Amino acid sequence: MRRSRSGWVLPAYMWLVLIYLFLPVFVVIAFSFNDINRGFNVVWQGFTIRHWLDPFRVPDIVESLGTSLVIAFLSAAVATVLGTLIALALVRYRFRGRSTTNVFLFLPMATPEVVLGSSLLALFITLRVATGFWTIVIAHILFNISYAVVTVRARITGFDRHLEEAAMDLYSDEWNTFRRVTLPMILPGVLAAFMLGFALSFDDFIITNFNSGTVQTWPMYVWGASRRGIPPQVNVWATAIFILTTVAMFVNLRIQGRRAARSADV
Amino acid sequence: MTVELAPPPPGRSAAADRAETRRRRVPYLLLAPGLVWLFIFYVIPLFQLLRMALTTGNLQAGYVFDWVWENFTQVFTTYQPQLLRSLVFALATTMITLLIAYPLAYAIAFRGGRYQSLFLLLLLMPLLFPFLMRTLAWRIILADQGVVVQTLQNIGLLPSNGRLLATGWAVVAGLVYNFLPFMALPIYVSLEKIDNRLIEAANDLYSTPFTAFRKVTLPLSMPGVISGSLLTMIPAAGDYVNVELLGNPQQAMMGNVVQNKFLNIIDYPAAAAISFTLMVAIVILVLVYVRSVGTEDLVA
Amino acid sequence: MDTRTDIPAVELDGVTKEFADFTAVYELNLAIGENTFFALLGPSGCGKTTTLRMIGGFEDPTTGVIRLHGEDVTGQKPYQRPVNTVFQSYALFPHLTIFENVAFGLRRRGVEDAEVKRRVNEMLELVQLTPFIKRKPKQLSGGQQQRVALARALVNHPRVLLLDEPLGALDLKLRKEMQIELKRIQQEVGITFIHVTHDQEEAMTMADVIAVMHQGRIERMGEPTEIYEDPRTAFVAGFLGASNMMSVTVVDRGSGAVALNGGTRLHIDPSKLDGGDGTVRVGVRPEKLRIYPIDEVSLPPNVLQGTVTDASFIGVSTHYLVEADHIGEIAVVAQNLDDHHHRPGDPVKVGWLPQHCFVVA
Repeated sequence: MRRSRSGWVLPAYMWLVLIYLFLPVFVVIAFSFNDINRGFNVVWQGFTIRHWLDPFRVPDIVESLGTSLVIAFLSAAVATVLGTLIALALVRYRFRGRSTTNVFLFLPMATPEVVLGSSLLALFITLRVATGFWTIVIAHILFNISYAVVTVRARITGFDRHLEEAAMDLYSDEWNTFRRVTLPMILPGVLAAFMLGFALSFDDFIITNFNSGTVQTWPMYVWGASRRGIPPQVNVWATAIFILTTVAMFVNLRIQGRRAARSADV
Repeated sequence: MTVELAPPPPGRSAAADRAETRRRRVPYLLLAPGLVWLFIFYVIPLFQLLRMALTTGNLQAGYVFDWVWENFTQVFTTYQPQLLRSLVFALATTMITLLIAYPLAYAIAFRGGRYQSLFLLLLLMPLLFPFLMRTLAWRIILADQGVVVQTLQNIGLLPSNGRLLATGWAVVAGLVYNFLPFMALPIYVSLEKIDNRLIEAANDLYSTPFTAFRKVTLPLSMPGVISGSLLTMIPAAGDYVNVELLGNPQQAMMGNVVQNKFLNIIDYPAAAAISFTLMVAIVILVLVYVRSVGTEDLVA
Repeated sequence: MDTRTDIPAVELDGVTKEFADFTAVYELNLAIGENTFFALLGPSGCGKTTTLRMIGGFEDPTTGVIRLHGEDVTGQKPYQRPVNTVFQSYALFPHLTIFENVAFGLRRRGVEDAEVKRRVNEMLELVQLTPFIKRKPKQLSGGQQQRVALARALVNHPRVLLLDEPLGALDLKLRKEMQIELKRIQQEVGITFIHVTHDQEEAMTMADVIAVMHQGRIERMGEPTEIYEDPRTAFVAGFLGASNMMSVTVVDRGSGAVALNGGTRLHIDPSKLDGGDGTVRVGVRPEKLRIYPIDEVSLPPNVLQGTVTDASFIGVSTHYLVEADHIGEIAVVAQNLDDHHHRPGDPVKVGWLPQHCFVVA
């Protein structure tokens, strides 16, 4: 491709924006090393690795992380199953009400979180259901379903239907065909849906805030702590989780890259 | 004379009938669990919200459902400032985010080379940090004694006692930051799909690079621009975290009123009315969008 | 073909397949003998693939009965039928190795491991793919994938093998090789092959029996030479190759004498004139015509006079277009046996034998 002399402008701009995106991340990481004891962790006081050596100092943090992990796992798992079934129906079958279903599935994604959270709360108030752990799970499944459909659907589209017919032709009944051919084929999409749902649930604050009752998820804990001063251990945990997931993402990218390279050279 | 009888019309085979019925039922069985969930926990709550908006009363005395529309008129009178602010902030956020995100997506798609997926990863990586923590970090960056404010004061863009925190600017800046990846990603996806040969063809047909961009690249990337804008505008209009963490009560948006009245002051009918109004506004927006791009593209 | 028994391998009895908005197959009756290479030939949309899919069990007929070796299998699932299919797209499982692809059917039927291994290796040897046993389908070329698909079906010892345009995705040279290869394998394993194709040359190369389908019906069925020489309908004549068609009036049914519009007498095999009345349409294939200089005296019974309008030399033969009186342009394919090359504008005579004419309905 022909490059003009101004060819450096776009890449430079790209790096600038990426730095901008990472700026708050760097701040949070830096302040995990801030030498403070109590109060607001907003002014630099000096460097220490003390907080990294003592991440369990605040039990509420660990507890809220545990709660969030369980909720994220449950809601992502249920939403992925429900979403995969819907995606299969939408891609595989022509049926009455198909395009209505498409619009209907889009709506929860297009609804502001405030409305999702408050309308669910309205339901729970009317039914006199006490909000807490299970109402959070219900809410998270609800907003994860549509995302799961979108993710799995992208994988099923372009899936050769003859593969399933071939399995049936080779003495697999419907269940075996699903287990041996369909599922392995759509598994990357299903896993992606699960991970997306997990991440969305793990980081959700707005909807959870309406339906959490007295249960403290990880974002709920951060929100509460922000009023009285966030312990530096929060920064430590946020950084640790960030590093862990980043490493996992890069390893995954490398594996995929290598796999692509391997299947490319015949 | 013999009358030749026509053979009886061949009946459809029972097997075919059974298979047909089964096949027609399958998609609905697959859809049912998920759609039932969405119906119970999405559709019914919205009705519940509407119902709640039409009641009067208070927590102590109880609520009476009496078709009172006053709560809705209140939205456009008492809460008009918040309503307008939500609209203005959301629009400003969308436009600024679009201006920043489009060149970014363009750079990744056309200049990323073989590192495209790495750049995408970098774009999404900040999302692995808790959303609240990132927003709180801006509080440190934009602090009154911080480098940013000092610099702006020194070059005279901000008066010497001027501040960024607790202003509308900080709120919009926070929103822009939050939604930038959600704007950039769909634009990248639609740009990446463009066949390079189309642009070469445009150049071949006597287009300057700028005309080629305006006549080929930009129109073809419109689906990405539209979905990115929706992904930004909708949550921005309903956000209340940025006002809470970066602004002050004078910049309250609809979301702040809803969460405040639901969770702190406990004024359910008013809160429900505001929330429902927000929903209706979004539905109108989405319907306009559906008409312009078609249903398949929405979820695809 | 002495192994054919009275009971056909595949039998379709009044089979109709209706889809929501059209009828793909209409009242089809068909019997395919044991150990036959059978080709279902026709243009796209003629119902040939639907017919094949009904035999395989992927579609249920709307009405009618399908029998395999006398047993009614209508309504049975694909996995319940003793037939296997080679799909047009091959449909190899991309997540499994070549070995596991071929072993798939045996494993589902609970064949024990050692036996699976033996049979898969034997089959991969037959199709010459032993070195690729551990590869994934994407790492093989189109021709290799095609052979895997074949091996995956044949390893199950089906009593009937269904092939849905299996050579469609291959380039011309490979296709020719595979045609011969398929025919060899069919003779070796000795089972019935039903081969769907839109390529008449492919069908004629391989098949013992061809059924030409058109708009959901079989228009003509028989051995390749039989249906080529006597197609009986204009559609079949046109689909199986080029032909020159003309309308003639019957002059004497007994001797087979007919007359063209301008009065020119032609002769055709009287046995082909059975139903014909008054005016009939007759055809003759271009390679059956011979082209003569205008002053030639030793001529066959049927002769037309005309002017060469186009001559293209293509090596093995020369293709002429001749503008003939009362008929219009006729095509002639001439073997390059002598030095006589006619040029555009040359007056010529075109002649052929009565038995080379066919009559269409």
